[in-house]
Amino acid sequence: MKTNGLRRLNTLYAGFAIMGSALFLSSAPAQAAGDLLVAPTRIVLDGQRGTEVILNNIGSETATYRISLELRRMTAEGKLQDVSPEEANSFEKAAKGMIRYAPRRVTLPPNQPQAIRLGVRPPKDLADGEYRAHLLFRAIPKARSVTEQASTSGGFTIALTPIYGVTIPVIIRQGNLQATAGIANARVETSDNGQAFAFDLSRTGDRSTYGEIRVLKQGESEPILVARGIAIYPEVPSRKVTLPVPAEIAAKLTGPISVEYYEPDNAGGGLITKSQMVLR
Amino acid sequence: MSKFIKAAVASSVLAASVMGANAAHAATASADARANILEQVTVTNTSDLDFATIVTGATAGNVVVDSAGTVTCAAALVCSGTTTAAGFTVAGTTGQTVDIDADASVTLTNAGGNAMVATLTESVTTLSISGVAATDVFSVGGSLAVGANQADGAYLGNFDVTVNYQ
Repeated sequence: MKTNGLRRLNTLYAGFAIMGSALFLSSAPAQAAGDLLVAPTRIVLDGQRGTEVILNNIGSETATYRISLELRRMTAEGKLQDVSPEEANSFEKAAKGMIRYAPRRVTLPPNQPQAIRLGVRPPKDLADGEYRAHLLFRAIPKARSVTEQASTSGGFTIALTPIYGVTIPVIIRQGNLQATAGIANARVETSDNGQAFAFDLSRTGDRSTYGEIRVLKQGESEPILVARGIAIYPEVPSRKVTLPVPAEIAAKLTGPISVEYYEPDNAGGGLITKSQMVLR
Repeated sequence: MSKFIKAAVASSVLAASVMGANAAHAATASADARANILEQVTVTNTSDLDFATIVTGATAGNVVVDSAGTVTCAAALVCSGTTTAAGFTVAGTTGQTVDIDADASVTLTNAGGNAMVATLTESVTTLSISGVAATDVFSVGGSLAVGANQADGAYLGNFDVTVNYQ
């Protein structure tokens, strides 16, 4: 009986070993300097005064990363547009003014994580509302070596370096804020990039809503489309949500459907709104 | 009754044998194990935006590298070599929707102060992470405006690409 159990354990371990090696292989592609990991991908401070964000160098070379606080405004198309400091309104200025973070520049060897501390110091007379800024993480590119630049003999060479990174929202809520949302005008759109499921997401109240969109077809229990991380921010009363879908899913998007908007699991997972409609 | 005890003993032996080495820990006091699992995102750069080699002529022209990396060369110019679009892979929570934003254009300058402008186009502006690395990708192509008798030299330029979480 005992040997039986052990044997079973051995096969179990063998299974884990195989899984482990497969994971290792898949996580080690050729990577350029500046590749990065950021967690979490969204910060909501509802009363708390601070948190931290993990930044990890997942590239194969040492890289220097810069962390900065940016302002973004949502457009009617649902894009996040850069807002320069001169264009900032009072809410955006207040958000930028009360968020403290450090360090702002960090050099990391490969696979070295660093915690970026984030604190909020709201002024005493802060008006109720939702304040938001976006934390941008990106690598500073290395200067090209002189030999690389001088390798041209007649004609010309071009070196275009992408500076790439991630922005995550930092949201501070002051006071007891409410919001409701609505979904309307669902349709399937076709563009150069293929097909997309689109609808209008509207919002009323004094804060943003954030969550997961599930599209269910009448008579089916499993959603045919799930999109996480859909927000509508207070600066817009309505936005368009465009979700690219592969052809096989687009083909299913006909007839009566239900579009449902749920809070994320860590915020209770409650239904924000849902709407039944018929797709042509 | 005795049957019940036998069954209980048998099952505990079974449990102990299956647990194997872990059985020793059963005697220790309980301890809290805490882990804060955070949703993560990773962005990796897989290729550069490369216009390869261009030979200029007396007439201005555009060299277009589309987001698939295919080159279209103006008649006035000669293009040679392998071109690529800038490629990126995004990994994160399955089903997560992210926005992709690249600079609309980039100015390239050489040591002599001569400049060229490339307009940039991203392959997608919204990406839904599928969990399959081969499909969770986007690319940035460009159209480079090469002037008539564009001055020689090594032209350098930086452009921003961000993955925005809502």
